Amino acid sequence: MGGKKRKNFPTVEDELGKPWCYYCERDFTDMLNLIRHQKAKHFKCERCGRRLNTAGGLSVHMNQVHKEQLHFVENALENRKGLEVEIFGMEGIPDDIKQAHQQRVLQNFYQAEADRRQNTGNPPPGQGGPQKEPRRKPTVEELKKRLAEHRVKRANAPVSAPPASNSPGVPGQFQYGQPQSQQPYGQPQFGGAPSVQYPGAPFNGQGPPASLPAPPPGVRVVSNPPDGSGPGTSIDDLIADAARKATVAKALADDPERKPKKDTKAIKLIYSDNETSPEEKRAMLPRYAFSRA
Amino acid sequence: MTSHQFELSESPQDAISAVKFASSSPKLLVASWDKHVYLYDASEGDSARILQKYEHRAPVLDLCFGKDDQEAFTVGVDWDVRRVDLTTGEQTVLSSHDAGANAVVYDPAHDMVISGGWDSTLHIHLRSQPDHVPNTIQLPSKAFSISLTATKVVVAMATRAVHIYELDALATAAAQSSQPSPNLLEVEPWQTRESSLKFMTRAVSCMSNDAGYASSSIEGRVAVEWFDPSSESQARKYAFKCHRQTVDSVDVVYPVNALSFHPKHGTFASGGGDGVVALWDGVAKRRIRQYQKYPASIAALDFSKDGRYLAVAVSSGFEDGQEDIEGSVVKVFIRELSDSEAKGKVLK
Repeated sequence: MGGKKRKNFPTVEDELGKPWCYYCERDFTDMLNLIRHQKAKHFKCERCGRRLNTAGGLSVHMNQVHKEQLHFVENALENRKGLEVEIFGMEGIPDDIKQAHQQRVLQNFYQAEADRRQNTGNPPPGQGGPQKEPRRKPTVEELKKRLAEHRVKRANAPVSAPPASNSPGVPGQFQYGQPQSQQPYGQPQFGGAPSVQYPGAPFNGQGPPASLPAPPPGVRVVSNPPDGSGPGTSIDDLIADAARKATVAKALADDPERKPKKDTKAIKLIYSDNETSPEEKRAMLPRYAFSRA
Repeated sequence: MTSHQFELSESPQDAISAVKFASSSPKLLVASWDKHVYLYDASEGDSARILQKYEHRAPVLDLCFGKDDQEAFTVGVDWDVRRVDLTTGEQTVLSSHDAGANAVVYDPAHDMVISGGWDSTLHIHLRSQPDHVPNTIQLPSKAFSISLTATKVVVAMATRAVHIYELDALATAAAQSSQPSPNLLEVEPWQTRESSLKFMTRAVSCMSNDAGYASSSIEGRVAVEWFDPSSESQARKYAFKCHRQTVDSVDVVYPVNALSFHPKHGTFASGGGDGVVALWDGVAKRRIRQYQKYPASIAALDFSKDGRYLAVAVSSGFEDGQEDIEGSVVKVFIRELSDSEAKGKVLK
């Protein structure tokens, strides 16, 4: 158990070391992929399909070959469309944007880590390790009590949660279905940094949320390692927590809108008369008045 | 990245209500609230020029070309449905609605003109029968937008009603009915639907392959649905949000004023009150591209019949709290599309 537990998850260094695209904030496993992406998505000539190395190169190409003017970078975020910055791979990214990105990566990383810990109930590394007490053997009474509580929980919990009994490798720890899926950290989450705003974010209908979402309901964010009490966290708490999360997940899945967050957002209709069309209204203006003589 | 685009000189003096390309030549008709219809030659790119102006006695709300590039049909605030001879400029009144007439389409297969108005009627004109008395079909509510395919006509109305008629049935019924005016015609729609959108319909446009249509509403949304009444086809229908902007965490929602399907690729363009034109692949459910914002609300859109051009009519909209807008922006842009520009993604 202990040896391989970190294997699947990238370290913070991994995350920070990933190359990423200035224009769309996507990150990549290596530089080659990033450059390929930029050539295909941002520096490709829509007229002839030629892939150039930089936006400047594309601009010159458009100008010379097609006699056209390139005005902005294709597929870029709203505020990154400019041609002023010369980007190649990771080169040329302004420092402030680099830092904002780093900030965001860190935030996402710790969020993901906290969520993972929340889900697994594992203590943070270093905290739990050396001073970890050997797992206390529960007394028979305790076990009985827990079992009874667990039955109650299960009776109340939604059907979707799989039975806990089939997780043999983890004694005394219930894995209660995966609580709702967290954002994988590959996905950039925009708007976390103060300076970054995406006014007309593309696909604002279906696209990613424009602001860093609050942690989903039911997830308690553990931002700092708990003070030594980590290993002692009651298993009942964990079970209750898991059950609650399962319920939340179920509720979210049942929600027809499938919009777990920000559905409270205010909406302003530019044209709100649902009965009379703008043309009818306009036709009523005195200057359009027409009388059938 | 912008494709080639130019602006028509001598744009109308007041807001534009419709733009339509001719079927066999790169001529473009523009209808305006300044009581004129404009005919442009859009073939020569930057040197596109105005060919003629046709004065009407009231604002023109919609128009379409007739059986060739020499005739047009117009409807307007003066309730009339007119035929305009584009060569001589001669105008003939075909019929009059009982309120403003705001939509007109021409069906070449039956040589038939269908117009709709705020009097909640459709008028049917059989052009092949000169002595035919125009038919009147009663609708449940005001007609807002009409679009044709080769075999069907979709009429989008107020109160979110949508009627779909078969052109064959309409033409046959109209030919058989010969009462004096208004020559009321009782034709059951082939399908009666309720709009998939919760708000007032702004525009409807049919797919060029006769399979279905898209409709848009004042609440920044577009729905795509199919004619085929089978449950599989009906299950495919969907709607999506667009033409919205978040300003200070308030979602500002613009009406989607215009829709037009590309005649070849089956993709479509939408134009909104936010001045944005976007191209969508309705099958793959993807946005193909979105053009840089235009200076004002998009009033109308039309692809040329060969799919090479997209006409974009820009004029300040008629939005809440913006009741009168004199001296506003009125422009017509012609966007020349590259071969693949409006092509959808090839599904793997």
